[in-house]
Amino acid sequence: MKVSLEHLKSYVEINVSAEELCDRMVMAGFEVEEAINTAETMKNVVVGKILKITPHENSDHLLICQIDVGADEPVQIVTGADNVFEGAYVPAALNNSLLPNGMNIKSGKLRGVASNGMLCSGGELCITEEDYKGAGVNGILILNEEYAPGTDMREVLGLNDWIIDFKITANRPDCQSFLGIAREIGVVLGTEFKLPVPSFETVGDDINNYMQVEVKNFDICPRYIGRFVKNLKIGPSPEWMKRALKASGMRSINNIVDITNFVMLETGQPLHAFDYSDIKGSKIIVRNATEGEKITTLDDKEHTLSSEMLVIADAESPSCLAGIMGGLNSEIKDTTKNLFLESAKFRRDSVRRTSRAVGVRTESSARFERGTDIMNTEYASNRALQLIYELEAGEIVDGVLDVNNGLPAERELIVSVQKINALLGLNIPAEKMVSILNSLHIPTTMIGDTLKCKIPSFRDDIEYMADIAEEVMRIYGYDHIVGTPINAAVLRGTLTKERAVDDSLKSLLTANGMYEIATYSFIGSHTTEMLDLPEGDSRLNYIKILNPLGDEYSVMRTQLVTSMLTVISTNMNRKNADARFFEISKRFVPKALPLVEQPNELKTLALGIYGDGEDFYTLKGLVEQVLKTLNTTAHFERADEPYLHPGRAAKAVVGGKTVAVFGEVHPTTADKFDLNARAYVAEIYLDMLSENENPLVIYSPLPKFPAVSRDLALLCNSETPVGDLLDIIKNAGGKLLENVSIFDIYEGAQIPEGKKSVAFNLTLRSPEATLTDEQIETVMNRVIKKLDAAGAELRR
Amino acid sequence: MQKKLEEIRVAAKNALAAAEDAKAVDDLRVQYLGKKGEITAILKQMGSLSAEERPKMGQLANEVRADIEAEIASALSVMKEKALKLRLEKERVDVSIPGTVSELGSLHPLNSTLNKLIDIFKSMGFDVVDGPEVETDYYNFEALNVPADHPARDMQDTFYLTENILLRTQTSATQIRTMEKRKPPIRMICPGRVYRSDDVDATHSPVFHQVEGLVIDKGITMCDLKGTLETMAKEIYGSDTKVKFRPSFFPFTEPSVEVDVSCSECGGKGCRVCKGSGWIEILGAGMVHPKVLEGCGIDPNEYSGFAFGIGLDRLTTTRHKISDIRLLFENDLRFLKQF
Repeated sequence: MKVSLEHLKSYVEINVSAEELCDRMVMAGFEVEEAINTAETMKNVVVGKILKITPHENSDHLLICQIDVGADEPVQIVTGADNVFEGAYVPAALNNSLLPNGMNIKSGKLRGVASNGMLCSGGELCITEEDYKGAGVNGILILNEEYAPGTDMREVLGLNDWIIDFKITANRPDCQSFLGIAREIGVVLGTEFKLPVPSFETVGDDINNYMQVEVKNFDICPRYIGRFVKNLKIGPSPEWMKRALKASGMRSINNIVDITNFVMLETGQPLHAFDYSDIKGSKIIVRNATEGEKITTLDDKEHTLSSEMLVIADAESPSCLAGIMGGLNSEIKDTTKNLFLESAKFRRDSVRRTSRAVGVRTESSARFERGTDIMNTEYASNRALQLIYELEAGEIVDGVLDVNNGLPAERELIVSVQKINALLGLNIPAEKMVSILNSLHIPTTMIGDTLKCKIPSFRDDIEYMADIAEEVMRIYGYDHIVGTPINAAVLRGTLTKERAVDDSLKSLLTANGMYEIATYSFIGSHTTEMLDLPEGDSRLNYIKILNPLGDEYSVMRTQLVTSMLTVISTNMNRKNADARFFEISKRFVPKALPLVEQPNELKTLALGIYGDGEDFYTLKGLVEQVLKTLNTTAHFERADEPYLHPGRAAKAVVGGKTVAVFGEVHPTTADKFDLNARAYVAEIYLDMLSENENPLVIYSPLPKFPAVSRDLALLCNSETPVGDLLDIIKNAGGKLLENVSIFDIYEGAQIPEGKKSVAFNLTLRSPEATLTDEQIETVMNRVIKKLDAAGAELRR
Repeated sequence: MQKKLEEIRVAAKNALAAAEDAKAVDDLRVQYLGKKGEITAILKQMGSLSAEERPKMGQLANEVRADIEAEIASALSVMKEKALKLRLEKERVDVSIPGTVSELGSLHPLNSTLNKLIDIFKSMGFDVVDGPEVETDYYNFEALNVPADHPARDMQDTFYLTENILLRTQTSATQIRTMEKRKPPIRMICPGRVYRSDDVDATHSPVFHQVEGLVIDKGITMCDLKGTLETMAKEIYGSDTKVKFRPSFFPFTEPSVEVDVSCSECGGKGCRVCKGSGWIEILGAGMVHPKVLEGCGIDPNEYSGFAFGIGLDRLTTTRHKISDIRLLFENDLRFLKQF
C-alpha cells in the first residue's frame, strides 16, 4: 500500500529519516516495495517571471524570453509556446536541471540563439489539472500566483514528500490503511499514535424519514450501517486530500467521492455513496442476486449474476455488487442532492469469489477479500460524516441504520510466558512482553506466569500462543534469536532407494561424458504431435493445464523425447558440434481423462547424443550400461517408433515389458525439430526398473588354467541378426565357453550378393584343467552345427 | 695352422669392431663360427696333424672360438645398448602438448547444489523424502492453513489441472504427507520441482525448485531453526556467512520469517549482486503453525517444530553468480560444461 509520509505524520510522530523508518518497518514485518522521494524527481526548476519577449529572427514560431529567476541577471530562454506573455510567472528549468519525466535540461542554442534552459508545461512537470489549476492547458504552465522569482518549483507543487509502498502481508488486513500503518509506526518508533476522533453536528431530521435497510443474508453481510446526508454541495476536494489520494494512487473526482475513498484509505473500511434519488422505493435490500440478474457497474460494463453473489439492491433492482463496485444507476453526480452512505462488512471469501467470477477487482474488493473489521464500520462512517461536516459538503441527518445480527464478543487469549519463551528459545521477561503487547493495542495483563490478552477486533489473525509469540518477537527484534544446534536425540539421515539409484546412474552417465539437463515439465499442446504417434497412442493422452502461461507451456508431458530434441536443436543451432545429454524427470500419465485423481508420475531417463563418432551403437552401449547398473538383463528387439529411423530403432524388453526405447531420430522428425545432423535419443523407463537392487557381489576364484582362443568366420544372410548368432554360440558353447566377441562384420567384394561375413572370437576355458584338443573340438563342432542349422555356414 | 688361427682371431676381432649392426655381426658369426665357417674349416684339417699337435691345436682352436664368441656377445651388447639409446631418443614426445582425456560430463548445477544440500542435511539427521508434483488442493493449501478463498492464495499463482488438482506451488505439501505417515521425531528435507504461474524473465521461471525442511520434536525452538540454517548457509556460502531473520507471513508457520544471508560477493558491504543491501534473501521459514500440527494429529502442546523452504534455483544462481535463471533451463552445452 502506497502512502504519503507527510500525510502519515498527521497520525503519528515520525522522528527518524524516511530511510530509517523503512529499515525499521521492514524489521517489524512490513516490507518496503519502493520508497520514492518526490523531491528527488525534480531539480533546478524554479519560478521565473517573464520580463521581455522578442521574436526569433530565424523562426516564425520561436520566441526569445528574458526571465527573472531571482538572480542578478535575467536568463535567456527560447520557447516554442505561444501562450507566454510579459509579466507571466512560469516554471523555468535552468541549465543542468532534472524534470520528473526524466529529462535533463542543458543550455544550448535554438536556431543560433542561446537558450539557457526550458520553460515547462504541466505535462513536462508530470502534473495535471488536479495537482495544479492550469496544468492541463496546452502550452507553458502559467502559474496562478505571484511567487518570488527563483522559488523552487518543488515548493510550489509540494514535492517534498516520500511515497512509501509497504507490502502488507495477508495476515494484516488492518494495515491496508493509513491508520493501521501509523499505529505500527508508533509501536516501532515508540512515538504517540493519534487516532482521529470523529465529531460532527447533525441538522436534526431522522434517517428513518428517508431510508430503510433490510439485510437478507447476515451470513455474508453481518453488519450494514447506513447514514444520510442532504443538501450536498458537490465541489472539489481540498489540496491535502487530493495529495493523500494521489500518493496512494487514486484520482480526485469530487469532494463526496473523494471522502469515501479517503476514508477507505485511512481506515481500511470501504464506503459507498448512493445518489438518494436513484434508490427506488427508498429502501436498500442486501440480498443474493437472482440467477441471471444483470447489473451495469460504474465502469459501464454489464455483468450477469448468479445466485451466490451478494448485491445491494433497491426495491427494484441491484445497485451494487456488494463490496466490489457500485452500479452506474446510482453513482454520485454533480447534480446529486442527497446521499445515502453505506459502511458494511462483507465476508471475505464471498467477495473474493464474486470478484473473480465477474473479473472486477477494486480497491474496495481488495480490502474486503483480505478481511475488514466489523467494528470499524461504525468508525469509518463517522469519520466520513466528520469530513463532510468539516468540508461543509452537506447536511448530516440524525440517526444511524445499523443492521446486524449481533456483534462478536471481545476475544481473550490466555497464554503462558514460559511456552512463548520455549517456542522462541529465548528468555524474554514477562514484563517486556506485556509492554510490547500493550503498545500493539493488545491490552494485556499478567496473571502469574500467564498473559491475559484482549484481542482487538482488528486483529482477527491472532488465535494461538504462537501468534502472540510472533507479535512479541517482531517488536522485541529477531536479532535476539541466536542459532543453536537442535537439542534432541541423534538421528541418522537417509536417502530413498530411488534417489540412491538415480545417483549411481548419474555417476555412470557423467563418467560417460554426458551432461545433465533440466527442462520444463510442461510442453506445448502440439509438441507431442510432432512425434507423429499413431492415433490411440497413450502418449497423446496428456493432461492439459486449465490456466497455462501460453500455448507452449500448456500440457504435462507424457514423454521426455520432445524436450530432449528441443535441447539438441538449440545446441546444434548454436554450433555446439557434439554433445551428450541426459535428464531424469517425470512423465505425467493420467489414470483416466478427464482427470479425476492425481496422475501417475513416472520417473524416466532420457538420453540424447549427436556429433562425430556417435551412432546407433554408441547409444545402445549407453543403454546397456544403464540397464547393467540397474541389474537388468534385457532382450533387444527392433522397435517401431514413428519418430525413430525405422532401420535404427530398438527397444529393450524385460519379461515382455518394454523398459527402454532408443535409436536414431527419424529424418522427418529431425526436420520438424530443426536438427541439422543425425541425433540419437533414448527413453528408459526407470519407474519399471528402480526396484532392481544390485545384489552383493560374491567373489569367484581367478582362473588357474590357460584359456584357448578360437576364431570362427561365418557366412550368413545379410538380414540375419548377429545378436541371434551370438545367442546361438553362447547357448551351444556351454560351460566351457568363457567369452565370445564379434571382431568383424563384412559385406562386399568376395562375399556373395545378399550375404555377409561375420567373424567371432571364442575364448574357452575350464576351471578344472587345461583343455584338451578333443574337448575344444567337441565344443567348436557343437557350435558350428547349431550355427549351420540356423543358416550360418563356416567360411572355408 | 697356429698362425692361421691367430690370423683368424685378429681378423675376426677387427671385423667385429667394424661391424655396424646386428646383421653384420651375425654374418661374421656365420663366417667364422658357422658350419661352413673358417674355424670349422681349420678343424677339418686337424686330421693332417700329428697326434702330439692335435690336442694343442684343438685347444687353441677352442680358445679362438671362445674368444670370437665373447667378442660377438660384447659387440651385440654394445649394439643393443646403442639401439636402445637410439630408440629412446627417437621416441621423445613433446610434453607440452595437452594430455588425452576422455570427456567427463557433469551434473546440472541445480542438482550439484542440491547434492551439496542433501549432504549437509543428511549429516544433521534429515531424511530425504519425495512427494508428488501434481497435488490436490488439500495438501497444497488446505492442510497448510490456506482454506479456499483465503487471501493467502494470492501469494502464489497456481496452475490448475482440475478444480481440485493442481501443480504444487510449494514443496510444503510434502510436510503434510510426511506428518500423516510418520510420528515425531521427524527430521526431513523434501527437494522437488514446484510450479507457479509467473512469466519467464531473468529472475522468474514458472518451473523452479525448492528444498523443504521439516523438524518436529519435543522442545524445538526458533533458535534451533536459526542454528540449522546457519550451518547450511556457512557450508554453501562460506564460513563467514551470517544469517538474518526478517518477520514475514506464511499461513503454515507462526512466527514466520524471511531468511537473508550476508552477500558472499561483497561480504555484506553492498554490491550489485545484493542490490546494495549486503543481504540476499534465500528462503522462508518459521515455526510450524499449531493448526497444521493439529490437522496432522500432532499435539502442539507436546511437540513443536520448524519448517523452511529453500529456493534451490536462487541458491544455485547466487552461489555460482549466474545472472539469468533462464540459463538453467536453456541447457546450452557451453553453459553446462562450466559446472
